[in-house]
Amino acid sequence: MAAPAALSLLDRVIDRVDTGILIVDPEMRIQLWNQFMVTHSQRSAEEVLGKNLFDCFPELPQRWFERKLNGVLILKNQAFTSWQQRPFLFRFSHNRQVTGGVEHMYQDCTLTPIFDDAGEVAYVCISIKDVTEVGIYETRLKQALAQLEVASHTDGLTQLFNRSHWEERFRQEVARVQRYGGKVTLLMFDLDHFKKINDTWGHQAGDEVLRCVSSRLRRALRNVDVAGRYGGEEFCVFLPSTELAGGEYVAERIRKTMARTPVEHEGRSISISVSLGITEFRDPGQSHEQLIKEADAALYFAKENGRNRFACFQQLPR
Amino acid sequence: MSNALTFNEDQRDCLQEICNVAMGQAGDSLARLLNVFINLSVPYIRLIKAEEVHQELRSLINAPQVSAVRQAFYSPQGNQGLCGESIVIFSDASFQELAHLMAFEGRELDARAEQELLLDISNVLNGACLNGIAQQLEEQLGYSAPSLIGQHIPVEQILDKEKLTWEHALSIKIGYTLENHAFQCDMLMLMPGAAISHLMSVLDQFLEDF
Repeated sequence: MAAPAALSLLDRVIDRVDTGILIVDPEMRIQLWNQFMVTHSQRSAEEVLGKNLFDCFPELPQRWFERKLNGVLILKNQAFTSWQQRPFLFRFSHNRQVTGGVEHMYQDCTLTPIFDDAGEVAYVCISIKDVTEVGIYETRLKQALAQLEVASHTDGLTQLFNRSHWEERFRQEVARVQRYGGKVTLLMFDLDHFKKINDTWGHQAGDEVLRCVSSRLRRALRNVDVAGRYGGEEFCVFLPSTELAGGEYVAERIRKTMARTPVEHEGRSISISVSLGITEFRDPGQSHEQLIKEADAALYFAKENGRNRFACFQQLPR
Repeated sequence: MSNALTFNEDQRDCLQEICNVAMGQAGDSLARLLNVFINLSVPYIRLIKAEEVHQELRSLINAPQVSAVRQAFYSPQGNQGLCGESIVIFSDASFQELAHLMAFEGRELDARAEQELLLDISNVLNGACLNGIAQQLEEQLGYSAPSLIGQHIPVEQILDKEKLTWEHALSIKIGYTLENHAFQCDMLMLMPGAAISHLMSVLDQFLEDF
């Protein structure tokens, strides 16, 4: 009587573990089907035992699965599948249908050869672990990292690129035209009399002006133009594949859109204007730092000559 | 902590012979699995200290970028028996060749399928080689699921992220020839000192019985 009792203990354990266990013979006939499999597939052991796995579950990726099983049979070696490459083997639902945000149970599977006395593979045992939780957490972690990456590139007040990210993008663009040829034009601009706005209306008004300038700037640009907040009230834009003439056109559009309408803040109208400096990439020896210096020099010239205007480095008096 | 382990000449010859036989068996199984003629070169075996691993990797692999997969192996005797981690390193160029040969069902290799292929090949190589070695030594081995260390990364990054707690590594370099394609990948078996000592005593026993 001892042997059946021991067997039934094993059976009971196999039915209680929180892992799917099924066993197939080399002809893919199901030999064991534990309670986990019954619960999640809604197919009883009587229904599937002795039947071909793929006849019972035609939705299984047969060729892929056979390739895995062949590895086990020929190499007499374990094989594995991970949810990260293939989310599931059996299309089961999971226990986090409300809070999970995923449709199916993520599964990690192990295929293990079971040998007969002659050392040949008599069966293959497939164990299926529910790793939905791990999958959900890892997916969330990836989302969080992606958000962090955006945050680390963005200026909080204006939602434009921050200086370090913008400068890195500009450096890459200059490196690209140095190597492959092409055009790039740089605009730097600065709010006129920003200190006076802050002193007269307060820093909150100043912040509102900066936000407003950023959104007007965004509307004045094309999708491919890359804008950033360079410093306090200084902004920067590079225009890929654009010559100086195109840069002048964009600069004039920015100047007009800023000066045309005052910024509204707490019932007050605050008139603003900007001064701009422009330069274009001309010879392969030019670094991105040099171009920034040139645009800055042109911006300084525009300020000196009355503000609310733009100047090109190439046209500055020598 | 531990003394530097070195194989004596007999142990080295014995291990080399066991590995040669294991490679022969592995090549045979792989050929049946992949349906291509596969020739595994005589493995080049070295015992290295953990701190030499980076240097060893750089000298072994002549490629700017690699992909690497790790997998643990263990014996029923726990960490007194043969155990450790195996790292299989593919140079990116050679991986493309293999992917081309093994392209599943002619479908395009997307990122996930490529990862799966890397994991599968590593699992197959580890299993074929390690089982071959273990069988001759009358040892048993189990394996954890393989996982990716990285894809298209510089060689130096393979172990930078890993905290090295192994004192010694058995480096086994294996070259493959698949029909008209020649390429290489490297298997690095990292074992704690106790496992290497165990391997040495098993080799001694094997030599005595011989």
